[in-house]
Amino acid sequence: MSEPILVAENLTKWFPVKRNLTQVMKGNRTWVRAVDRISFTINKGEIFGLVGESGCGKTTTGKLIMKLLEITDGTLEMKGENATHLRGAALEKYRREVQMIFQDPYSSMNPRFTVRDVLMEPLEIHKVGKDAKEREVWVREILDEVKLSPPDEFLVRHPHMLSGGQRQRAATARTLMLSPSIIVADEPVSMIDLSTRAEILHMMRQLQREMGLTYVYITHDLSTARYFTDRLAVMYLGKIIEMGVAGSVIDRTLHPYTKALIAAVCEPVSGKVNRIKDVPIKGEIPAATNIPPGCRFHPRCLYAVEECWQEEEPTLDDIGGGHLVACRRWAEIERLGAAARTSEASLGTRKSSFAPSA
Amino acid sequence: MKKRDFSQLRSMWSEFRRIKFGMVGLALLGMFVVVVLIEPLIVPFPDAATRWRDMTYWVDNPRNAKPAWVNWFTSKDYAPSARIQSDNIVSGEFGAGKLYQAELPYKYSWDKAPSDVTLRMNVTGNARYEAEFIRPDGLSVTYQKTSQGAGTRDLRISVAQNLQPQLYQFAGKYEDPRVMQSTSASTINPLAVLFSQAEKGALLSGSKPLDGTYTVRVKVVAADATSSLNEAELIVAGGVQGVLGTDNMKRDLWSGLIAGTKWALIIGLLTSFIAVVVGVIYGVTSGYYGGFVDSLMNRIYEIFSSVPLLPILIVMSAVFKPSIWIMIAMMCIFFWVGPVRTVRSIALQIKEASYIEAARGLGASNRRILMRHMIPQLVPYAFASMALSVPGAIVYEASISLIGLGDATRVTWGQILQAAFSSGAVLQGIWWWVVPPGVAIALMGMTFAFIGFAMDTILNPKLKTR
Repeated sequence: MSEPILVAENLTKWFPVKRNLTQVMKGNRTWVRAVDRISFTINKGEIFGLVGESGCGKTTTGKLIMKLLEITDGTLEMKGENATHLRGAALEKYRREVQMIFQDPYSSMNPRFTVRDVLMEPLEIHKVGKDAKEREVWVREILDEVKLSPPDEFLVRHPHMLSGGQRQRAATARTLMLSPSIIVADEPVSMIDLSTRAEILHMMRQLQREMGLTYVYITHDLSTARYFTDRLAVMYLGKIIEMGVAGSVIDRTLHPYTKALIAAVCEPVSGKVNRIKDVPIKGEIPAATNIPPGCRFHPRCLYAVEECWQEEEPTLDDIGGGHLVACRRWAEIERLGAAARTSEASLGTRKSSFAPSA
Repeated sequence: MKKRDFSQLRSMWSEFRRIKFGMVGLALLGMFVVVVLIEPLIVPFPDAATRWRDMTYWVDNPRNAKPAWVNWFTSKDYAPSARIQSDNIVSGEFGAGKLYQAELPYKYSWDKAPSDVTLRMNVTGNARYEAEFIRPDGLSVTYQKTSQGAGTRDLRISVAQNLQPQLYQFAGKYEDPRVMQSTSASTINPLAVLFSQAEKGALLSGSKPLDGTYTVRVKVVAADATSSLNEAELIVAGGVQGVLGTDNMKRDLWSGLIAGTKWALIIGLLTSFIAVVVGVIYGVTSGYYGGFVDSLMNRIYEIFSSVPLLPILIVMSAVFKPSIWIMIAMMCIFFWVGPVRTVRSIALQIKEASYIEAARGLGASNRRILMRHMIPQLVPYAFASMALSVPGAIVYEASISLIGLGDATRVTWGQILQAAFSSGAVLQGIWWWVVPPGVAIALMGMTFAFIGFAMDTILNPKLKTR
């Protein structure tokens, strides 16, 4: 099972900030540290989730894996081969291995193309198949695979004639055209009706089983991440702060940020849905140009103590069972949490004991 | 790939057929093309295109004649132009030489006399000739002259120019003496006298027209054996002529307008096509690559867009011989900036779309992204832009003609309009000289606008009304 297919080591992407003339003269350079030295390993056949708020660098990570952006620093290894910087034929080979499903199915397909054009494009670019006829046979097969049938009806349609779910199926079909090993799915269901989300995810999982795919599932939605992924990495301001088996990360959350994220999830359960939640976090996400010293989460952390900003940034350490966390106080917080739960529980009991007598 | 493109065109055509104004535009374009193709068949002066400024080519035409169909709307009809060829020249011995005789009948049944009647004789050598204009009422006027010279040439006897004394004398036989005293041979209208009843008032052109068959009897005495009369022809320059009348240089405007169609199509299509293709590719490239390339291309664009075209064209015309091809080339060099700004901004917008990123992720080359994803989206805009710059190019050519820098060897609508304006056609009420070329330019513009908008509707699926 755990045969690594994609290994990222200190992967970094810094974007230069546009400067005006005085800044150029003074020699000031500021950078947006979109992805800041992250390391992870994705195993063959697994679904690896990347979660975090908007602007935390998860999409940038996806694009680095896709080689849509140049890697600033660090290394990327694909199937044991270095894939940090690729050119020409090597890049072409890499592109056939790694494909991407984009967030917005409304703009990820050229509005002028028919579904046939969309699906033929990868084959044409990589010169797969002898002629258009042979390519079309393959296109029909894939359409069947993503349950867009009858193919004849869908082949001639333009994207605007498809529903959101159908579009995402077509987009998925496009990624499958070149039989890749890894598919980066950047929020594939966030713009789709809730009713069809499960269907799409189910289809993706089925495809994964049939074709032995590996997914990198990028999302801000913890509930689908829990449902869909095998392993999960939580990102905050360009850094992975917690990583592990999905169940473990969600159920036995260690990092205060992850806790806040989970607390923020809406639960459509009566009695809970209308309650304004007391999310255990303060302030706003800082700008990625000016990352706080020490632990980058400390200005928003309710448990931050002096050492959190005085000392070096905590490293992502394995605390056992493949669960990694980058917080130096996780154990203390765990204890505090347990204590709070107990006190809350006792408070709850008291309340309930009050109720009938009143 | 080729085959598929073809089928794409076919499906485009089947959609195009459903758009009414598109079909109107196409019909108009087809009409223009047909007009260009059958040009020699529908114009009375097929050499109009090459001999537009050759005065001798137009010499037999009336000046400022109205279009022939004006007669349908007026109570007093103008005599239309006509040509009567003698099919029978009788020759006989006459001393040392020969006597040639011919009769040319002209049937007259209008209210307003023609502007001139000219007898053209093609003679060789020395000849003494006599032309007798016999009216339907039996009265006649005679003109005699001797022409000496070698070789074959045309002799012309114009009633308006040569028969003034004879007709003044003729009128004197029945006209009021007081009227005769107040006028002279050079102030009368000889044509009005010739085609009026022989009664008082004819000199002041107040008398009734004399309808019937007029005959011109020609007698030519050839002095020696080498001399002869080869041809005799009566040319009636009417008050109305042809489809669109004539201008003040006696040129047939219908022939000119048709000859101009070809040049309008060539100037408009060639200039706008080259300019828009260059502009679109330039704009897309600039927008797509961005960064340093974009900045550099923008500076070049700004240089071209801020250089005024007219002074450059004046200098170029001074350096080169004014030619329509150089003019088209110059217009292309400066017209391509037209669509650049818009295309660049559209390209900036398109390149951010995630399907461009998706294509890059699939490994598409920049060329492929530009050609397959970006430029096709700009086709509707390019067509609209072309449609807009077609009349622009035609009008520009006209303005260059206006300042005398046009290609004097071609007939263009602009040149016709320019001649009309410079000779005050509007003030003189010669509407048939101004309106047709103007309407033609507008019609040509409309043609391309219609086709452009129809293409827009097809190529932009979101605009489709399903």
